[in-house]
Amino acid sequence: MNDILTVSGLNKSYGDFSLQDVTFSLPEGCITGFIGVNGAGKTTTLRTILGLTAKSSGNIRFFGRDFEQNERQIKDRIGIVLGDGCFYEELTLSEMKSIIASAYSSWSEQDFKRYMELFSLDPKQKINTLSKGMRMKYALALALSHHAELLIMDEPTSGLDPLVRSQLLKTLVEYMKNGGKGVFFSTHITSDLDKIADTLIMIDNGRIVFQEDKDALLDTYRIVKGDSRSLTAEIRKLFSAISETEFGFTGITKNVSEVRSYLPDVLTERPSIEDIMLGNVGGAA
Amino acid sequence: MMVFALLKKDFLIVKKYVLIMLLLVILIPPVMRWRTPEFTGVLGFILSVIFSVFMLLQYVSLKEYQFPKAAALLCATPFSRKAMVLSKYIFCMAVYVICCIVFKLETLMIPELGTADIKLFALMFLVTAGFIGLYLPVQYQLGYEKTKIAFMVVIMASPIILPLLLRMEGFHLDFLSMVSPYVISGGIVLLGAVFLSVSAFLSMRIYAKADLA
Repeated sequence: MNDILTVSGLNKSYGDFSLQDVTFSLPEGCITGFIGVNGAGKTTTLRTILGLTAKSSGNIRFFGRDFEQNERQIKDRIGIVLGDGCFYEELTLSEMKSIIASAYSSWSEQDFKRYMELFSLDPKQKINTLSKGMRMKYALALALSHHAELLIMDEPTSGLDPLVRSQLLKTLVEYMKNGGKGVFFSTHITSDLDKIADTLIMIDNGRIVFQEDKDALLDTYRIVKGDSRSLTAEIRKLFSAISETEFGFTGITKNVSEVRSYLPDVLTERPSIEDIMLGNVGGAA
Repeated sequence: MMVFALLKKDFLIVKKYVLIMLLLVILIPPVMRWRTPEFTGVLGFILSVIFSVFMLLQYVSLKEYQFPKAAALLCATPFSRKAMVLSKYIFCMAVYVICCIVFKLETLMIPELGTADIKLFALMFLVTAGFIGLYLPVQYQLGYEKTKIAFMVVIMASPIILPLLLRMEGFHLDFLSMVSPYVISGGIVLLGAVFLSVSAFLSMRIYAKADLA
């Protein structure tokens, strides 16, 4: 399987925050979730790989080609959703579309109309009259109407109600079925990824924590519940995170067999992506 | 083509001000002629160009300032940052050209407004080029708010300063009548074009390094 995006050794510094040696790749044919808590560096990473902010160092390749050398051609093959507020809000949907459409060499008016009808959007409506969910749908319609091979989205489901999120996720799955080569989207709402993601990349404090196949990741980790008194310093080291109450402890670990060998009576549960994410930022399991 | 799509974008985001500005461009020369007959309508033309270019550019910049992510989205599409910058320059020059056409038509209909000849248009091109040539790189560097305040003071002072300048003793360009008007105009336009080119180059360099929202 080819990688459609390869990021290696990416560094970017702001005053009090920096991306440090960010390295990951997106395999073709996968929906990849980019997870991390607020301020972990998700948006900065996306902005940097899209050339919206200058990198200090590192290499970015889309479809096997260097981004800096082939920026325009690469952008022509990518669909972008940047979240809320990325339009001139006093324009109508049709006017904003006319601007965006002229940027792409293979804009499909037919596809755009289909998405507009699918999402019940009126081209004559002004953008500032749209709800948050409608704006997201409109952004998606724009991003998917030029035969994009890769869709990159920054927090697309943030602030949306469950129905709109479900519609959005369904659209992403259909996009992949209809020939999309990949979806890369950042989110801190990990329940969306439980439904559709194939691969997960986690970032924390500007560093990549892991890149794993979702199912393999969920199989690797376990939530462990037991009596706090049985925890020794050696056992504690086997956990990514532990929280304790007067009733016992709850921890998350990827060393399940070792933990069982020390504590055969503990309860184990399959974690959610959120459990794994919080476990890796040192939060409560 | 991309530059023209972005030019269209600039006109679209200020579309509700365009008609008002057009009305001002039409009205300023005859009103100035009525209020200060000694300067015919030429002063009005100069002011109409300065006001319309400055005000419309301000409105465009205001909209970009209000919706910074929109520019980021455009830069994430195949639109290049160079095209984004160039479209601003072309936008200003397009406004200038419209002002010239309006004034030319007005002088044909109201001869008292003066002569709208090539020298006047060339001189005004140089003034416009000088203004946006300074304004745009400063704005790309400092941002909308800081630049607006500095230039607003200059523009508000222009109705006072301009007549004073024109009344200045020794402010004679009579020697230019010895030279062919086409040579003078060509030289002025060339000077303006060079200034604009240098300014656009600087703006592109500044914007190429800018972190977008």
